[in-house]
Amino acid sequence: MSLLRRSVATFAAATAVLAATAGCGSGSEGGSGGKTKLSFFSWENEQTMKPLIDAFEKQNPSIDIEFSTAPPVAEYISTLQTRLVSGTAADVFVIAAENKTNLVQGGFVKDLTGKPFLANMSKFNTEAWSVDGKAYGMSISSWSAGILYNKDVLAKAGVSEFPTKWDDFIALCQKLKAAGTTPYYEGATGLPLSVAALVGHENARQGGDVDAQIFAGQKKFGDLWTGPLTTYNQLFTSGVMTKDVVGLKGEQIVDEFVNGRVAMIAAGPWDVPTLRQKAPNMNLAFAGVPTPDGKPFWAGAASPGWAINAKTQHEKEAEAFLTYLGSKEAVTLFNKGTAAMTTTSDVTPVIDKVLEPNLKALKDGTFYLPQIAWPRVQDALNTEAVAQLQLMIQGQAKPEDVAAALDNRLKSS
Amino acid sequence: MTVLDRRAPAVTGALSWLMSPKRLEGLRLQAFMVPIGIVFAVLFAIPLAQSLYFSVTDFNGYSMKVNFVGLENYRKIFTDPSMLAGLGFTLLFAIGTTVIVTVLAIPLAVLLNRRFFGRNVVRAVFFFPAIPSIAILGLVWAFILSPLGSGAINWLLDAVGGFGPVPWLSDGTLAQLSVIMVAVWSSTGWHAILYLAYLQSIPGDYYEAARVDGASARQAFFRITLPLLAPAVTVSSLLLMTGGLKVYDLPYTLTKGGPGYATFTITQSIIQSGIAQAKFGQASALAVVFMLVVGAIVALQLVLSRRLEGRLS
Repeated sequence: MSLLRRSVATFAAATAVLAATAGCGSGSEGGSGGKTKLSFFSWENEQTMKPLIDAFEKQNPSIDIEFSTAPPVAEYISTLQTRLVSGTAADVFVIAAENKTNLVQGGFVKDLTGKPFLANMSKFNTEAWSVDGKAYGMSISSWSAGILYNKDVLAKAGVSEFPTKWDDFIALCQKLKAAGTTPYYEGATGLPLSVAALVGHENARQGGDVDAQIFAGQKKFGDLWTGPLTTYNQLFTSGVMTKDVVGLKGEQIVDEFVNGRVAMIAAGPWDVPTLRQKAPNMNLAFAGVPTPDGKPFWAGAASPGWAINAKTQHEKEAEAFLTYLGSKEAVTLFNKGTAAMTTTSDVTPVIDKVLEPNLKALKDGTFYLPQIAWPRVQDALNTEAVAQLQLMIQGQAKPEDVAAALDNRLKSS
Repeated sequence: MTVLDRRAPAVTGALSWLMSPKRLEGLRLQAFMVPIGIVFAVLFAIPLAQSLYFSVTDFNGYSMKVNFVGLENYRKIFTDPSMLAGLGFTLLFAIGTTVIVTVLAIPLAVLLNRRFFGRNVVRAVFFFPAIPSIAILGLVWAFILSPLGSGAINWLLDAVGGFGPVPWLSDGTLAQLSVIMVAVWSSTGWHAILYLAYLQSIPGDYYEAARVDGASARQAFFRITLPLLAPAVTVSSLLLMTGGLKVYDLPYTLTKGGPGYATFTITQSIIQSGIAQAKFGQASALAVVFMLVVGAIVALQLVLSRRLEGRLS
């Protein structure tokens, strides 16, 4: 332990010097002109957060926000981790799926349960950043992703209404393929959105708490994943999609869609601005992922939340900042700057019309993301799931093998 | 005579040795080593000691409550299929790029050493791929090697020979080959320039004498050029091998380690375990094992290179 303490102390000293040089960290003993310095570390960029910070500082002239940022996800997580261990973390920072467990278990974040600024937040968002019933983050928006399609291409194929049943979806894909159009692309360099939606649908069908049962040792991943994976695998066994999607990046898929080389793609709200810019006249529409019983589901989650450092010396100011970030004015500003689907009770977000079905899914609660539902080992399980899915797409693994690999990964972690 | 008086000559002798100009000069010279000693300690010795310590603990990078776990982390890394796959591809990449680049760079350097019109431009063209960041090259090559028919290479193959789309990055074996191919493309020119520098130090008289003796170009290459390039081969292959063993950015930007774990590397595994998965103990154990493997490979390579140099010279 002495070696560890010494090395951490050395590291902390070095980081403190760096942090002081960079003008960030928790060195908030008092700002210029008697102002209180409140440090804020975010994974949103400065362009997104500056309007909110400026407005807050204007309303709170005695508080000076020291803003620093790191891009999501790995770089943000590692920077925050280094600062936390060295005792130089910001007073307010982002809590995400990837670090929630470590932040809460390590006692690095304040319990925000019952704080007035959480009153306007969606129950789902607050629960996403809660552990054992205690809230640790304030999240003002969510996202949901499904299938984006070119209405004109589908109309040419005689389709006026997007299928809700999986079998009908496969039939539509085959019809488009027979007509010489590539029907559907969905990348598999990460966990496919349709897999998340199909697993979410199965989870809801089984009562909605299967992940908790898996982590409690009462169920196995196969109970939840084998069925949806078998459904998803039909895309490949039926020849609708080729194994090429394993090597495709998101931008390449969007590019294929923009150029009219594919009729449907898996997409999220983040793709809409690019599409509007590159293909302003394209007749777009979003739909949920069709499911075996005809009740479409979506991939989606609460956006990362803002947490207060447990060691902050400016709790009052940090709470004031969160109060502002959750206010009608700040949420409106955030929506204006990001087009995010905000979920607070007193603001109706202004969103692109094509995203209305996505917003409805958020309101209906018909969305799911495994990484958020897993209480721990999120990154290891995600890495394993992606690798095994890629093997399944290549025909080297069966759906039950993927589920078994997830069980093994959970057991060994 | 007191005891002090009796000791005086010995003390005086020791003092005069300590203060001698030769000794002081030696101390002054040694003082120049202090900064590099500090850098070595801070950047290598202390992190190494930390890694060794963390590798036998359950340190997660967050909590300071650290428990000793013995060799458990080492057991885990040797039973984890992804880490073993990472080790396999890393070795394949390092050995593959070292061999292919060496085989291509030496003849290229010989060609670039000849006099021809536009020689400097051609040298610059071959050197250019070494300039951009390898991560940027990976992103660009991901588009070039797109497995779709619209990918640059597949489009060309179709236009020229009517070949169907080749799954460059979506088939495990082809993805491994593609990553190695891009690495070879980006490194060959740089290493050819390294060989070129050595080639230019070979006196032209040797070749003239060989020509007078009736030696063919092939004989001149194998009897003069290659033996005199042996030290360059040692330097170049050492750089390639060490660079190849720590590869991360190129496979990550091209394939993210897939399909499956086909292009997963040890460095990616260390970064992923340590940062994303908060398993610093396990990542440290992997780093320790990796350091030993690298040390063994580099030592073996140096021994073989020196033997080869001795045999050729």
